[in-house]
Amino acid sequence: MSLDTVAFALAAALMVGGALGVALTKDVMRLVVGLGAFLLGVAGMFLYYGHAFLATAQVFVYVGGVLVLMIFAIMVVHRANGRPVLEARHDIGAAAIGAGVSGMLFMTLRESVGGWLPQSGTPGGPIAVELLGRSIVVFELAGGLLLIALVAVLVIVGAGERR
Amino acid sequence: MTLLWGFLWGVASVATIAGGAILGVWWERKVSARIQMRYGPQQIGPYGSLQMIADVPKLLFKEDIVPDLADKAVFKLAPLFVFGPVATSMVVIPFAAGWAPVDMSVGILFFLAVPSIEVIAILLSAWASHNTLSTIGGLRATAQMISYEIPRSLAVLSVVLLAGSLRPLDVLSAWQWWWAPLTFVGFVIYFIASIAEMNRGPFDIPEADSELVAGYFADYSGMRWASFMMAEYGSMIAASLFGAVVFFGGGWPLSGAAGVVLLVIKTVLIMTAVMWVKWTFPRPRQDQLMSFCWKVLTPLALLQLVIVGAVLPWL
Repeated sequence: MSLDTVAFALAAALMVGGALGVALTKDVMRLVVGLGAFLLGVAGMFLYYGHAFLATAQVFVYVGGVLVLMIFAIMVVHRANGRPVLEARHDIGAAAIGAGVSGMLFMTLRESVGGWLPQSGTPGGPIAVELLGRSIVVFELAGGLLLIALVAVLVIVGAGERR
Repeated sequence: MTLLWGFLWGVASVATIAGGAILGVWWERKVSARIQMRYGPQQIGPYGSLQMIADVPKLLFKEDIVPDLADKAVFKLAPLFVFGPVATSMVVIPFAAGWAPVDMSVGILFFLAVPSIEVIAILLSAWASHNTLSTIGGLRATAQMISYEIPRSLAVLSVVLLAGSLRPLDVLSAWQWWWAPLTFVGFVIYFIASIAEMNRGPFDIPEADSELVAGYFADYSGMRWASFMMAEYGSMIAASLFGAVVFFGGGWPLSGAAGVVLLVIKTVLIMTAVMWVKWTFPRPRQDQLMSFCWKVLTPLALLQLVIVGAVLPWL
């Protein structure tokens, strides 16, 4: 087993461990830690395939942006008496839906990219053109939607507090 | 093979930071004493230079206190998450032309992205302590670090524009002496924003000892506390090294081993300036800090970028 395989295994273990943490823990803050581990694992996977830009962007945008936003949201809606407002529930229905969706995604991806293996060391130029070209509107819209969702959560929780 | 080298460079950069922190603390004590017309440490070793050798065992043997109400697993891990990214960021910095521990095509972006992981770690440590002062400190640190990332990246972007590459080695080899005056405003912005990124005085609002005790690491003791301090010194060393490379051409005008020595001298000068600023200026208020970032530094960084952009077609 070469050392590169060890690196791959480390990234994969980080991803699987993080995903299991997200699925199994009830404390929302630990859930975020699991998500962070998963995202760093994905970044490691990108690095393994030689996409350094993608890995860095992953850390910058998801770990540094989205994750911080989530922790902020959790901190802001946390009550002063220490009782957590947000608690992940272990719901069989939700688990079934999650498993179904991931199964469906897996099948679709296997159908569409079946024999194709990621090439390592592809130049970053086309990615840059794609990101700053026609995809930029979609990305900005997604950012706007996230902001709206956060404000909505604050409004909903605030209304609950007043009642 | 890459993994083994990565591991070795990781160990090397942790050793650099630990050694740098030991020397840095002594140097800071001397600089601060000089500014306040005192002597500073002078009993142990020549000019008190062995003082830290007495202090490190003290930190190692201190009791490791974990508060009863803390989220123990997260509380214990958070210092590592704070320290890890700083040590990682060191490896992309080129020390001489054609020589960087890890040659990364987007190394500059990588270096600038590292504080985002630190933000998470600081928020986690603040949260895990279950302590009001820590939580306030963590929130302040996050607001400050996220905001100052923007002028910091914009300032570095002007050099990236000139070099036409995000690879630190390319920037170093393309560097010309007249870039330093052209991007001097950028360097000043980078310098100020970096001090804010490392939560050092005068921007130590998240850990303000007179109001928040020590902010997000108020409940830590012994080596875990020392990890936070080492992370602070580590980011000071890394930011000064990176600034010396990007804005002052690394070892320019020398090359080879002499260039590395000159780079270290430039780095120490920048670090001394960071300490000088800390011991000279009073701490601003939170709102002053934010409006300074968004109303002064960010527009200035954009202006610097415009100037570089205007010069660029004539080169």
